[in-house]
Amino acid sequence: MPEIPCSTCESPAQPETGPSPGFWRKGGWLLLALPLWFLVYHYLEPFANALTTRLFGLDLNSHLGSAIAFFFFDSPKVVMLLALVVLGVTFMQTFITAEHTRDVLAKRAGAWGNLLAALFGIFTPFCSCSAIPLFIGFVRVGVPLGATFSYLVSAPMVNEVALFMLLAMFGWKIALIYAGTGVAIAFIAGWVIGKLKMEKHLEPWVMEITFNAQAVAAAEQRMSFSERLELGVQGVKDIVGKVWPYLLVGIGVGAFIHGFVPAEFMAKFMGSGHWWSVPLAVLIGVPLYSNAAGVIPIVQALLGKGAALGTTLAFMMAVIGLSLPETIILRKVLKPRLIAIFVGVVAIGIVLVGYLFNFIM
Amino acid sequence: MLIEVFGPGCAKCQTLEKHALQAVAKSGETHQVVKISDYAAMAARGVMSTPALALDGQIKVQGRVVSADEILTLIQG
Repeated sequence: MPEIPCSTCESPAQPETGPSPGFWRKGGWLLLALPLWFLVYHYLEPFANALTTRLFGLDLNSHLGSAIAFFFFDSPKVVMLLALVVLGVTFMQTFITAEHTRDVLAKRAGAWGNLLAALFGIFTPFCSCSAIPLFIGFVRVGVPLGATFSYLVSAPMVNEVALFMLLAMFGWKIALIYAGTGVAIAFIAGWVIGKLKMEKHLEPWVMEITFNAQAVAAAEQRMSFSERLELGVQGVKDIVGKVWPYLLVGIGVGAFIHGFVPAEFMAKFMGSGHWWSVPLAVLIGVPLYSNAAGVIPIVQALLGKGAALGTTLAFMMAVIGLSLPETIILRKVLKPRLIAIFVGVVAIGIVLVGYLFNFIM
Repeated sequence: MLIEVFGPGCAKCQTLEKHALQAVAKSGETHQVVKISDYAAMAARGVMSTPALALDGQIKVQGRVVSADEILTLIQG
């Protein structure tokens, strides 16, 4: 069995069980770790600047100096933010399971179902490995196809880790724009697919397998606070351990743009003045496959150099929302025409969002 | 006891299978460990998030890797 690309998976692995937890293991260590986190975070920038000027003897206003200072400041900053965000998000996600989502959605028909599915997609973890069992589980238990697609679009595109990273780095407006437009695209894409009555474009085996809903006695996951926290910590180890090389590449590219690309250069290509810049950003973004966290430093550098918000947003959504591995996996349950409509509707949605924000801003 | 591990073959599913085998070795008893990687079989059993683990046909764990010790407790429980 070939290994399936699973870099979008964000559920934690291997919680260790030890002796019965004492105060520290129950989460008492957070009382010490959190203030320490904020203290270190606060002093990152002066530290990076001092490192660049004193140790390397570089001027902060020079190309190389500003690129290096950006790198030394951003690398620990992004990793620290990521660790905190993943801890919180994974902890929160232990409360929302795929079974809950399915049961809630199975009761809703029509547009409300689509909206709810899109909203659920923000917070639930999404793993391309689980996409197929999840898809079948949804469709066969009575979640409408359109709502299932709203969920399938929203879950990877509105990535909860990216959302909180944007919130921490750019403030609530940009985070809200990202989540709001992502949910809107998912809502509309699912609604359109629902209206098109695409049920006949599922691979026949999806509806043919004997599905015994009664046997689906979902293991009720009752966990204690410390177990949930333990999963959060495992999530941090798992995700930060896996994405740090991508992060460093992302920050490296960001640092280069920051130091060497002239301030108004990006405005020429990614500014709002060109109608073709948004579709081009989407075309470039779709084949690029990155973990959501890896794209954030690039977004930061692009915005800093005058790229238009809509174009940047479209680029980011295309990178994390439409991925080739996920499309290949979904091909097992969807016929080519439905795959094409799925990718097409989402891509059009992203382009429209790009235009909208270039127009407004 | 029949121990089934559900997973399409990603790294986490392999880890869970390894833990299941370790748990069996620790228990000192004979249990059968079966890996199920067929999507249709998985879906038919109602597995929605992988990796998942079932004991004697009943799903006990979904969407996360559990340790060998935890599986051992489940076997003995």
